[in-house]
Formats: sequence, C-alpha cells, structure tokens
Amino acid sequence: MRFWALFKRDVLVAWRKKSNIYQPLVFQLLIVTMFPLGLGAGAQTLAKIAPAVVWILALLSTLITLENIFKNDYEDGSLDVYVLSGMSLPTATLSKAAAHWLTTGVPVILFAPVIGVLLHLPAQAYAVLMLSLLLATPIFSLLGTVGSALIMNIKNGGMLLSVLIMPLLAPVLIFGAGAVLETTLGNSAFGHLMLLLGCTVLSITLAPLAAAAAVKINLE
Amino acid sequence: MTTALLQIDQAQCQRSGEWLFAPVSLAMNPGQLAVIAGPNGSGKTTLLEALAGLSLMASGQRLFNHSTELKQWLKHSHYLGHKLGNQGSLTCAENLQFVANVNLTTVSESTIEDVLTRAGLAGYDYQHASDLSAGQKKRLALSRLLLLNKTFWLLDEPFVNLDHAGCEWLYQVIEHHIKQGGCVILTAHDQKKIHAMAQHHMNLEPALEVA
Repeated sequence: MRFWALFKRDVLVAWRKKSNIYQPLVFQLLIVTMFPLGLGAGAQTLAKIAPAVVWILALLSTLITLENIFKNDYEDGSLDVYVLSGMSLPTATLSKAAAHWLTTGVPVILFAPVIGVLLHLPAQAYAVLMLSLLLATPIFSLLGTVGSALIMNIKNGGMLLSVLIMPLLAPVLIFGAGAVLETTLGNSAFGHLMLLLGCTVLSITLAPLAAAAAVKINLE
Repeated sequence: MTTALLQIDQAQCQRSGEWLFAPVSLAMNPGQLAVIAGPNGSGKTTLLEALAGLSLMASGQRLFNHSTELKQWLKHSHYLGHKLGNQGSLTCAENLQFVANVNLTTVSESTIEDVLTRAGLAGYDYQHASDLSAGQKKRLALSRLLLLNKTFWLLDEPFVNLDHAGCEWLYQVIEHHIKQGGCVILTAHDQKKIHAMAQHHMNLEPALEVA
C-alpha cells in the first residue's frame, strides 16, 4: 500500500518532468551518431563493436539519471514525509527503485533495438539484447538507489556516485555485453544470461537493505 | 512512574561531536503546548528532528505512552520542518493525496478540497505546488496537519513566511488542536502570543563544558 503510494507518486513526477525520460535516450542517440563518424569505418566494423557499444550506452545513459533518485526528495523535504510516515525504509527504497526502473529502465530497453540498428547489430542478437537489458536495468536502478542515498546531501555528488557504483556494475556489463557478443558469434548466451539473472536476484535482495542503511546514515 | 503521555528525559543532541545544549526535559499531557526557544544555532531544529524520530538523540530518551518504541510514536506524531516536503511538479491535491496514502489513510476528493479551503488555498487544488508563493507553500505544508490530524504536532518555525492573516489562522488552528486534546511542540522567535498560550517553555542554553 505504502509501496504503491510512493511508486505512483514517483512515476507521476517523472511523467510531469518528461526530460527525465527523454534524457537517457537523447544521450544515447547523440553518442551513437558519433561512432560511424569517428571510426570512419563500414558496417562490418560497426557490427563487430555493436554489442559492447549498445550495452555501454545503456549503462552510461542510466548512470546520469541515478543521482536524483533520492536527492530531490532530500532537498525538498518529501523524504522526511515518507520516512516519518512509519514506512519501512527498505520498502521505500525498493519502491523508489521500481519507479526509476519503469521510467528509465523500460524506455532504455525499448530504445536499444534502435541503437542496435544504427550500429548494424546482427539480426539474431536483438532478442538476447533486449533480454539481457531486461535483466540488467533493474540492477542499475537498485544500485542507483544505494549510490543516490549515499550522496544525497552532497553537492555535485554525481561524480562520486559514478565512482562508487561503477565497479559494482562492471560484472553486469561483462555478462550482459558478453551475452550479446556470444549470440552474434553464433554461440549460446545461456550461461551469461544465467549469471546476469543471478546478479539481478542478488541486487533485488540486498540493494534495498543497503540503500535503507544509507538513507538512515544521512538522516542522522 | 510518570503519567505524562509524552515524557522527554534529559534530551541532548550533538553536532559534529559537540554538545549543542544543556539537557532538556519535558512532560506533556493532552491539550498542551510547548515552545522551544533559543538563539540561532542553539539547536532548536536538531532537537525537534530528534524528538520527531528523524534523527537520534545523543543522550536522553523519549517515552511515548511509557515506551521508547518508534512506530507508535510515528503513528501519532507529525513533524513539519524547514524543508516543507511539497513536491513541486504535483498539484496541491496530489500532494495531499500522496501524504494521505503513504500514511495509510484514504481520503476523498471532497476532504482534500475541504482541507485546502481551511488552509486558505481554496481553488488551488489543481495548481502545481511549484507555482505557489512561499507563504502558500507553507500553507500547503501546514494543511497536511489538518489532513492527517495526528495527536502530536512538531512544528519548526511554523510562522515563518506566513502573512498576518496566516499567522492568525495558524494561532487558531493550534488553539483548536489543543482544545481537542492534541499536543503541539514548536519553535518560534518573538511570538509573544504563542508564548502566552504555552504551558511549557524550553529554553535551550549552551551545554556546559564537560571534560
């Protein structure tokens, strides 16, 4: 009930400020147009680097949105409102992560094929690309709540946030981009996807607790 | 054994390892008003945050109904600080709806309309909170008190940003709440009228140096 109240509010706020939703997509589109220009190469070279580039873009474009998950609520005081409502903090952080995933992760998943086409990603890789992002974007949002909760009272903490959670996201990138790469080479991506699923389950279980602890530290 | 509904024993707070004020105690029963006074930087806000349960007291304890349990206290207390907690991109009505939902109460649209009217924001239901003036934002935040109607109100400088009529309105709201058996703890500067209404006066004095 409280979970949905906060979730609904966050989705509504994101919907009102649509730039939150567009920003990662525009970022991806701008960067991806640079690749053919910078590389000066044909479709074959692009296709070779496509799995990595699509994945890195999805990761970085999400990263720039993470800072504000808790920062806005901390600054305008609405964090106090729901913390003092008696809501359990892990529920609150899970709700924030879910709302962030719906408003940032889902658009990134749906947009990935567009980026793939622009990079001549081989046709057989699209299903695995979407599936790998479906497993990975919740991890971005969940770890994002941890990072955002840690830096919410720091001015310009965005850089610190990236430094904090990038190492944690490295395995996700390895398994995710690896899954797509294996598919383009005609191999099975099953192993990579299973490891990715493991990361997803791990972060759903642990990240809300870590984020709740971070919120608590910053309030005291 | 004390009989007061809210008992605060020897509460003290720290800021970066320094004691902010000498220990304060308070025993409150339904229908009472307490005013916390003290110069800027004396720790009024820190104390109120600790009383609200947002942060921890460095020493001392809060007994509500003879128990230190936080959950029951949160259920019956309402803290309003300097940061108002309005979400700018939501309308006034949506802000109140969220506050009600997150506190597990369901309210009808007419209740929200009624609360906004009582707070002097009639007709602002569909106005985004970011478009309100500073005083109106304060009124919107204060209207949450009327919406949830909890027993204890902890208000940090509630008169700031309010115009003359707003202050008068707030006096009446507080007076009414106390008459109904509610309790109010607030911090204020130079509000003679509120000091006259109060049963408890807490003056924050600098902590003595402890070796």
